[in-house]
Amino acid sequence: MPGLIGFYTFGEGRENWDASQIIHYGLSALQGRGQESISLATIGPGNTLHTLGGKGGVEEFFQKNKTSIPKGFIGIGQTSSYLDDYLVHVKTPYELVLALDGKTDLHEDRGEATKLFARQLSQLLHSEKEPLKATSMLINKIGGGYSFVALTHKQELVTGRNPLGVKPLETGSVGFDIGAVASETCALDVMGIDHTGPVETGEVIMFTPEDIRGNAPTTDRGNFCSYEYVYLARLDSNVNTLSVARVRNRVGRELAKAHPSKGDVVIGVPETALPIANGYSQESGIPQEPGFMRTGENVRAALKPTQKERLVGVQLKLNPVKSAFEDRDVVLVDDSVVRGNTLQNTVLNLKRDGARQVHVRIGSPALVSPCPYGVEIPPRDELISGNLDEKELANNVGADSISFMTVEELQHAIGLPRQNLCMRCFEKGGTTR
Amino acid sequence: MRVMGVGGGARENAIAWKIGLSDHKPEIFWIAENRNPGIHKICKDNQGELRIGRTTDPKTIVRSARGWGIDMVVVGPEEPGFQGIPDALEKEGIQCIGASQELSVIERSKADLRRLQWENNLPGKLLFRTFKNAREASDYIRKNIETQPWLQNIVIKPARQSGGKGVKLIEDRKIYLHDEKERFKEAYFDSLQASMSAYSDIEDKILVEEKAWGPEYSLQCFTDGKAVLGTPLVQDNKSAHESDSGPETGGMGSISGPDMTLPFITMEEYDKSLKIVEGIVEAIQKKTGKSYHGMVGGQMMLTENEGPTVIEMYSRLGDPEALNMLALLKTDIIDVFQAIVERRLSKLKLEFTNEDAVVVKVVAPNGYPEKRDKAKGHPVQVFDTNIKRNGCYLFWGSADLQEDGQVVTGGSRLLALMAMDHTLPPASARIEKTASSVQLTDGWGLYHRSDIGTEQLLAKRQNTAERVRRLYKHREEQGILGTRMDWVPKIGRVDPSQLLLQEMHGPGKA
Repeated sequence: MPGLIGFYTFGEGRENWDASQIIHYGLSALQGRGQESISLATIGPGNTLHTLGGKGGVEEFFQKNKTSIPKGFIGIGQTSSYLDDYLVHVKTPYELVLALDGKTDLHEDRGEATKLFARQLSQLLHSEKEPLKATSMLINKIGGGYSFVALTHKQELVTGRNPLGVKPLETGSVGFDIGAVASETCALDVMGIDHTGPVETGEVIMFTPEDIRGNAPTTDRGNFCSYEYVYLARLDSNVNTLSVARVRNRVGRELAKAHPSKGDVVIGVPETALPIANGYSQESGIPQEPGFMRTGENVRAALKPTQKERLVGVQLKLNPVKSAFEDRDVVLVDDSVVRGNTLQNTVLNLKRDGARQVHVRIGSPALVSPCPYGVEIPPRDELISGNLDEKELANNVGADSISFMTVEELQHAIGLPRQNLCMRCFEKGGTTR
Repeated sequence: MRVMGVGGGARENAIAWKIGLSDHKPEIFWIAENRNPGIHKICKDNQGELRIGRTTDPKTIVRSARGWGIDMVVVGPEEPGFQGIPDALEKEGIQCIGASQELSVIERSKADLRRLQWENNLPGKLLFRTFKNAREASDYIRKNIETQPWLQNIVIKPARQSGGKGVKLIEDRKIYLHDEKERFKEAYFDSLQASMSAYSDIEDKILVEEKAWGPEYSLQCFTDGKAVLGTPLVQDNKSAHESDSGPETGGMGSISGPDMTLPFITMEEYDKSLKIVEGIVEAIQKKTGKSYHGMVGGQMMLTENEGPTVIEMYSRLGDPEALNMLALLKTDIIDVFQAIVERRLSKLKLEFTNEDAVVVKVVAPNGYPEKRDKAKGHPVQVFDTNIKRNGCYLFWGSADLQEDGQVVTGGSRLLALMAMDHTLPPASARIEKTASSVQLTDGWGLYHRSDIGTEQLLAKRQNTAERVRRLYKHREEQGILGTRMDWVPKIGRVDPSQLLLQEMHGPGKA
């Protein structure tokens, strides 16, 4: 799952901006969406697109490529959880580079589907008289769930979010000089850019040296990814105008109400579930304590490409603070359960280290279906909840009890109408709306 | 009545001591490979003698027993049993307390013991696999480590009792250390293969078992083949040094009392453990058609998957665990032995004192257990009066009384000091007061574990026991005690017990 940045400058002196240096910080803020592959592209006065891609994380990438970072005053960037997932560069008929979060339905394979989309965009920008209108039609025609940002050889930045609106995209600006888009508002904050609002569902925005133009967004409010609130988005972001921190707190409170547990202490599994645990603690009155310490860098273990890397990530992240649960009944709060290895490791460690009872509370419904829009939710046969019921699962991980939120409870906690939330991964049938 | 003992360690010294206390006033004869000073004295005081001879050679044993006109023989260590000493004696019409060769397989072959448990679906077992060579072991583990997660945390043992080759625990729980663990594991497989190739009596050379954790304890029993009578639980301490660190030894000291169980084991766990031992005795008798008469013991552990679990079996008494049990035994030991040989053990009232806790600490020369050559041949001096003044007992182990009356070290565990009190910590303290009464006069060092029986170590055992008890009790409440079920992404539910049984009954393997 990639994080996207688009950075655009206007007016006198704009050639003095070094877009890459600013995008650098935006990408850093988006690393929670993945950091396996980093790529960026810029354009300067020469009207030549400069591109560079390489292995992440963001800091390593910029350190290693100090001398070859593309120069220019307009640019786009992408940090992706997929291996070798870089900007798509189309040379003809209309040269452009494109970054895309999500998946179009043009091909089974996500990468191929993105390439096909980029080619159609290139074709259309080349031949259509009204490129904005044409792009708007294109995203209405091509299904799937995606947001994208593209940079052309004519210093145009084209960005949009398809009508389904599964994938987030936010806009920002600074005075008259800078316009920007980013997958999350936290990236705009970190780049020192004021957040101006989300890219609406079905909206296309074109930045050109002359102006900024947008189409009329679709009236449908869209079908927002609920997993953004549960896990994907950063706590300091707003997604679809809702504060992620607020939502996670409400998820925790809702969880405590609907799935109460006795316990002496509430412990959240870092990092995502900490605010959920906090909400659980506030609602239940059971104190929350830090239960784990991380060794080494903060990585999003669940987004690592191989099982081994995921386990390494998790194990280094979860060294227990023994005194927090020794001889206590623990309410262990996590955001979600995918394959179950993390939870099993964690619960067994707590019990072996002296926890009396461990009651697991999950701040989302059981994951039972893969994501059609490219979020790293594995196929059904790898989802433990798709295969074991709650009792079997509790026995498997060694917990005294385990319970998940229902779809309705999560929807209630997020606070958006059911028809505006995508919850496919929580539903066995997998219907969209 | 003439009784003869076999074996020259502290365990045998204690057996001789107990026989010497019998109201039957038997004459005591002994065969050992070292002139154990304690046994030597007891024999002399009881109209008998200690003879030096090969304890594993049936001819030597039978000839001596016949020559002395022995009524009953007691075999102490396991190796004479493995070599068929009891069988040879009984063939000559001499009564013997000790497991016959075929029955002693429960100790001799750790692989056969596991098979016996699984074939008979007995409780208290662990998952296992056996391998003919190192390649087979590493290939199997590499191939199955994903689908059988128990293979990540294993115990590697020689499949057969093998001199000097110990047990290795491989916890492959931190995946970032996986390569390191794998390298170590495979190197150990190679070294096991090399040392085990000397034994042609079994096909399986390497045993791999599910690693369990929890408090360990020994349940020693008397059996006449019909009844299995339990004795007080004893906990031995296998690590050479304080706080359970350092290399594996034969046992550095043991605790028991003040009643049938240990402070950290419940009576319910005792009863379950006894049932487990009974089940094994019954199964091995059924399998071999032989009658088990002698001593049998379960080296047990409380584990999260099974509760009371067999780690290994003894086909004899433990050393030093025998000391604790014999110190607590109130019934005349000759009455016990006679009840065993006359197959009327069920009618015997086996009594133990329930007022005393017993602590035993082994004193060993520096060098034991890794460099026994260096630990050997040092002159020993003992201040008996000091030991007695503190109410302690001394049992000689790997020691040799020479012609000139000087005792020298044999390289293994030199002797055991024992003390009794109302609870364990004061008994432990008594031994500490008297430990300096044993010295080597050439300046070579001795060591023992001061922590055995102390409040701190007991608290640690209690803590471990409570943790694992919580886990197994929880499984019991859920109705899944003794079962194992994994869920493996892409494959689904995997029951490693079923896989084991399939491989046991299928072609090759296990």
